[in-house]
Amino acid sequence: MKEPTARSKQTHTDERTPIRHRWTAQPSGDSDEALAGALLRSAKVVLPFGTKNLAEVAARLRTRERRLSRKWAWQIAIAVGLLLFGGAVSAAVMHFLRGPSVGPSPPDTQVSMPASGTVPRRHRPVAPPPASAISQVPEPTPVSGGSLELVPGKAPPEPPPAPLANPSALAQESRLLARAIHKLRQERNPGQALAMLDQHRARFGANGALEPEAKVTRIEALLRLGRHDQALGLLDAQSLTAAGVGREMLVARAELRAEKGRCGSALNDFNLLLAAEAPSDLVTERALYGRATCRAQQGDWAGARTDLEHYLARFPKGRFADQARTAIGK
Amino acid sequence: MTLARSDAAPFIASPSGVPDLETLYRAHAPTVARWAARLAGPLVDVDDLVHEIFLVVQRRLPEFRGEAKVTTWLYRITERVAQESRRKDRFRRWFSGARHLEIQRTMAPPHLTPVDELEQRQSGEMVYRILDRLPGKYRNVLILYELEELSGEEIATLTGLKPATVWVHLHRARARFIAEMKRDSGRST
Repeated sequence: MKEPTARSKQTHTDERTPIRHRWTAQPSGDSDEALAGALLRSAKVVLPFGTKNLAEVAARLRTRERRLSRKWAWQIAIAVGLLLFGGAVSAAVMHFLRGPSVGPSPPDTQVSMPASGTVPRRHRPVAPPPASAISQVPEPTPVSGGSLELVPGKAPPEPPPAPLANPSALAQESRLLARAIHKLRQERNPGQALAMLDQHRARFGANGALEPEAKVTRIEALLRLGRHDQALGLLDAQSLTAAGVGREMLVARAELRAEKGRCGSALNDFNLLLAAEAPSDLVTERALYGRATCRAQQGDWAGARTDLEHYLARFPKGRFADQARTAIGK
Repeated sequence: MTLARSDAAPFIASPSGVPDLETLYRAHAPTVARWAARLAGPLVDVDDLVHEIFLVVQRRLPEFRGEAKVTTWLYRITERVAQESRRKDRFRRWFSGARHLEIQRTMAPPHLTPVDELEQRQSGEMVYRILDRLPGKYRNVLILYELEELSGEEIATLTGLKPATVWVHLHRARARFIAEMKRDSGRST
């Protein structure tokens, strides 16, 4: 054990000396103490807890009623905060719509717009969207190397086999879908894209060879049109796993659910994403922050704080780092 | 002194020896409200906080055996509830995206002009911004000494600390407060 030095002993003794004068009682001046006193004086006045307040709180204590209106105000405040996630949600869904790659890509590739090599083969007729088209995405998300996985255990989409039973039907379906994607991403016309997707559905039905791609394109179009309810309806119908690009769909669905105040089901998705050893990527980052939001909304402050602390430990320069620090007072 | 005033309030025990909630409330609510407003800062609704505090009091009343002074017991509950309230408030501000919530009128005396009131609010906000960067044990002792105007001995009684510890905390709180105040003014210039 280190012996205290004479100096530290003296310091400690000095600190035990009673303080004789309050800063708040000091006259105005330029010294640090006088300035601190002036500042503290401004916070000194507290309105008395009057008879009216006494009676009000006593009545509430008797009935044990909490102020529901305040509780609702709090819920609304959360909803406003969650709306900010809308951009992130759009970006997430657009990401997996845009770029399920067939060939392997470098695992650490982090780009905000798909290169031609990341466009799915069946969409090859469509040129990759220009940067300007991507710039409207509120929060670009990185493109990962996995494939879109709508159904658990379903193999990544493979290029169509060379000998086709009915090549003309597939070619027609492909052309129609390609036009819809072109309208959506290059002409930025989600309304027309949606109309073409309706045509696709009318012509090829739910059994079309490209129906999964049509579905995710539809989700993207709905999100761009701000029709989050319908997009969520489609996502809700999917059975998603926390693997490959399915993770991104899962986080998008969780964020949409949270946005709609369905924090219970959103937490299921967030938990699924964070249950396994989640990689330190954007999906995990969003899932941690999103789960903190939902936990806080449900009054689980300790859980929310834990998530935010994990968030800051893993993503100290993450996109929500400032908000997380503010929230936990770091 | 506020503590003396609070202690002077008659403490009436029920026939079973356990104080009843209504008696406690009538005798101590105004003091508890003032502590709560001081400790939680200007962003809280004092009525809500007092309600929360007395709900805890009600729940824990059967455990109170009179080993500590009733004011000490109430202060500890107030301190914990106020701390929790500040924590929640930080979350609320974070989720609502509102960095500057409307400050409750707990800090503003009614006779001020709108300009004075604004200045007062801003100063009050700054004081609590600085105080919130201090460790809790220093923060609360400084509040009790400078804002609540309690003596060292009264703070010791209320918090259950030794008087010497109170002074150590107060010296350190003052040093930290000045340092943070300078940091703040450095930022604003």
